[in-house]
Amino acid sequence: MEEEKKKSENPLKVNRRHFFSQLSVGIGSLALGSLLIPDLFKRGTNETTGLPLSLPHFAPKAKRIIYLFQAGAPSQFETFDYKPILRKRMGEDLPESIRKGQRLTNMTANQDKFPLMPPKIGFKQHGESQTWISDFFPHIAKIADDITVIRSMHTEAINHDPAITFFQTGSQISGRPSMGSWMSYGLGNENKNLPSFVVLTSRGKGNSQGLYSKLWSSGFLDSKHQGVLLRSGKDPVLYLNDPDGISRSDKRHLLDHVSSLNKLHHVETGDDEIESRIAQYEMAYRMQMSVPDVMDISKEPQSIIDLYGEDCQVPGTYAANALQARRLAENGVRFIQLYHQGWDQHGNLHNEMAGQAKDVDQASAALVMDLKQRGMLEDTLVIWGGEFGRGNFAQGKFDPENYGRDHHPRAFSIWMAGGGIKPGLNYGKTDEFGYNVVENPVHINDFHATLMHQMGIDHEQLIYKYQGRRFRLTDVAGNVVKDLLA
Amino acid sequence: MTDSNNSRWVDYVIFGLSIFLIFCLIFESYIELPNLVAWLGRWHPVVLHFPIVLLLIAVFLGLTGKTIPKLLLTIATIAALITAISGFFLGTETSTKGDLLFWHQWLGGGTAILAVIWYWLHASDLGGKIYTKALQVALAIIIGFTGHYGGMVTHGEEFLALPTEKRQEEIPENPLIYKDIVARILDESCVNCHNPNKQKGELLMTSLSQLLKGGESGATIIPGNSEESELIQRLHLPVSDEKHMPPEGEKNLTENEIQILERWIALGASDTLRFSHLDNDEPLAALIEKFKKPDELRTWAELPAVADTTIARLSSDYLTIKRLAGNVDALSINMYKPPEYHSDLVTKLKSIAQNIIEMDVSGLPISQVEMGQIAAFENLEWLEIDGTPITDAETDTLKVLSKLRTLKIYDTQIGDNTLSVIRNMGDLEQIYLWKTEVTEEALQQLRIANPSLQINTGIDPEIQASFAKKDSVSKN
Repeated sequence: MEEEKKKSENPLKVNRRHFFSQLSVGIGSLALGSLLIPDLFKRGTNETTGLPLSLPHFAPKAKRIIYLFQAGAPSQFETFDYKPILRKRMGEDLPESIRKGQRLTNMTANQDKFPLMPPKIGFKQHGESQTWISDFFPHIAKIADDITVIRSMHTEAINHDPAITFFQTGSQISGRPSMGSWMSYGLGNENKNLPSFVVLTSRGKGNSQGLYSKLWSSGFLDSKHQGVLLRSGKDPVLYLNDPDGISRSDKRHLLDHVSSLNKLHHVETGDDEIESRIAQYEMAYRMQMSVPDVMDISKEPQSIIDLYGEDCQVPGTYAANALQARRLAENGVRFIQLYHQGWDQHGNLHNEMAGQAKDVDQASAALVMDLKQRGMLEDTLVIWGGEFGRGNFAQGKFDPENYGRDHHPRAFSIWMAGGGIKPGLNYGKTDEFGYNVVENPVHINDFHATLMHQMGIDHEQLIYKYQGRRFRLTDVAGNVVKDLLA
Repeated sequence: MTDSNNSRWVDYVIFGLSIFLIFCLIFESYIELPNLVAWLGRWHPVVLHFPIVLLLIAVFLGLTGKTIPKLLLTIATIAALITAISGFFLGTETSTKGDLLFWHQWLGGGTAILAVIWYWLHASDLGGKIYTKALQVALAIIIGFTGHYGGMVTHGEEFLALPTEKRQEEIPENPLIYKDIVARILDESCVNCHNPNKQKGELLMTSLSQLLKGGESGATIIPGNSEESELIQRLHLPVSDEKHMPPEGEKNLTENEIQILERWIALGASDTLRFSHLDNDEPLAALIEKFKKPDELRTWAELPAVADTTIARLSSDYLTIKRLAGNVDALSINMYKPPEYHSDLVTKLKSIAQNIIEMDVSGLPISQVEMGQIAAFENLEWLEIDGTPITDAETDTLKVLSKLRTLKIYDTQIGDNTLSVIRNMGDLEQIYLWKTEVTEEALQQLRIANPSLQINTGIDPEIQASFAKKDSVSKN
């Protein structure tokens, strides 16, 4: 108790804002007040953390999210948005009545013409839901009735970095917490031996864009909420294993001593990050046991290996990560984020997408089916999609055999499955050129609000106050898309 | 108040207002107010606070033997008269007056008249007399009653009732759609403002005939046409819309409730329609099934309280206990395999047995002991015991879990005997059952015995086979 008091009274805890706000009360009353009632000017913990006292705000439909992020932005015209008019009017200029002067990137802005380009791949309708899915995804086609395709996503960002940052953090400018961090902050760990936010990355052969750890950063939230990148290979988490010659009990002693030193330092400085650091050491110590266990797929039966495809035995592939995602989900990780790089097809689109699709198609479908047979699809929300869409016209010269598509933020497609989302739904529509959303638009803020809603969080109530401003994942926007909810 | 000239004018005003008030009260049914005058009635809720406070202060001064300033009594009396008159104006907006409004009106009028009498006694220097004191006491009491009735008119009759558990009558097995379902929905969300005492928009929602009759904007419901029915249109407006019902601040209807109203109107808005009259594929049947299911928050509210400290004490690195929502006492338990497992991890949960709604012990080396303990978690709705070494010998205890909805029991050694236990679990909605010793025959029997139970027997072998094939994507 004495220690607690000392911590809270630490002069380093008072920042400029606190200082001025206290000063404004008047130095005399400040002095008197602080003598009489030590906590007089201290804000309630609730005010500084902004954390509502009772989370989840309501009984959640989803307990965890597996986000299969297709980094680079797969084209909707070769995945889920079938637009036969592109073939009919192939090569014709995109009508101005459709384009309406919307901005383009400088990769296509100087083109004289915007010749409409049909997909080279065929499309079919699948399942009772009659969902249009391109022939690149024969496996996902098999789960057509389990997924909900949203064809009316839209964003403001037109380039990869701001767009992916927007998807991850709700802002195009980096620095805000990633949505996995928000979930961790709001809902805490389900399994104390594993982080609540885990990241797995893989890379296809297609043209790819960078992935930066800022995408899973906790921003201004406590650093214990940041995503933990699990790597393929011998050391899933770097520096997690003990060096040769150090036993686990030695490590325990070491941690105990480091921790007591850290606590002393914390009392001196009052820096909360020190507490975070202590917690992280402890977490890492437990992860030494839990991570190898979760990552070890040797006990998975052959039927599961067959389901995800034999690639799942090759560490670092998308298939291996998908299987890993299910294992992490079973072990109580709340937010599992996969990134598969290589979806940025400015050229050679058909061949590259065939390769990319082959990387992810079977494992994505397998994951949904595997979760379903375990009864986990009910409380696990699976999301598949990129950061924006692609244009309906050819980038560069017009060649139906070898074409590319530039970025297009105004309309794109993603799908979701499980987690209390209506299965087999086709939601939202684009115009016949697939350029603009004409029905049920879903903005990224709406998407975030819906995700949080399924996790039992009112997106308007999960607030963190930082540098004098209140922050939310959805900032000042976002509506839960009720039509999607089962 | 020495200026007698001035005070005479005040006397005239009070006299005039009193006559006007009495006239209004007596000839109420003959009075047709011009719009502007009626509008003055809208000020009633503002001005009514003045006479209450001022008269009570005056009564307090009088009863404690202090001098009552004449100015105070003058203003109080005028305020009482204005309030009563404006209240009368406001009351004329309601076409038929209920009991509450009737009493409020006459008590309010009485208050004003008593105040005038007191004013007159006071002016005639009879203020100290014993009957004046009696009048003061009577005035205080009558103010209390007037205020109380007025409050009930605006806030609903149960506004001051103690927050007791609202007694909900059971919905009968074969409910009358209007009486047992629709009327109940309206009662909860609409009748507060659309009842004989407070007829907002001249609409009564207390009976079907009144609903059909509608209010000032015409019919509320059009039988057979829910889209055109104003009731439904208003429910669908965005909450920020002024015409949205219920108004801001009131409890909104749930999506399910709105859909029930819609279907009921679409089917003709009859008050003789019964649940059993509905076809099986009629969506209203499913909606009502859903409506009848008790709200989980309400059921959870009856669970014994669990302190956060208890949760913290029972939790460990390998056992997390979460509240299912914010601050309810319904708990979800997740267990992970610790380096050294002991059955008391489960048995020590005994103290919160009734609160456990969801439990996941999948993959743990549980045995008879744990299964016995789990059987005591009587409110369990969701149980995961997949990947455990249990067999038919341990699953017999499951039969007492009458509230179980979801059971995950795949990847275990259970056999047909377990299925016969499961067959008798009426509330079970879904079961995950693959990689077990269960025979196809027993499964078939279970399907027949319990057709509504969803049985997940793993991935369709055909799809599994197609997935096992290599390279099904054509690469150009």
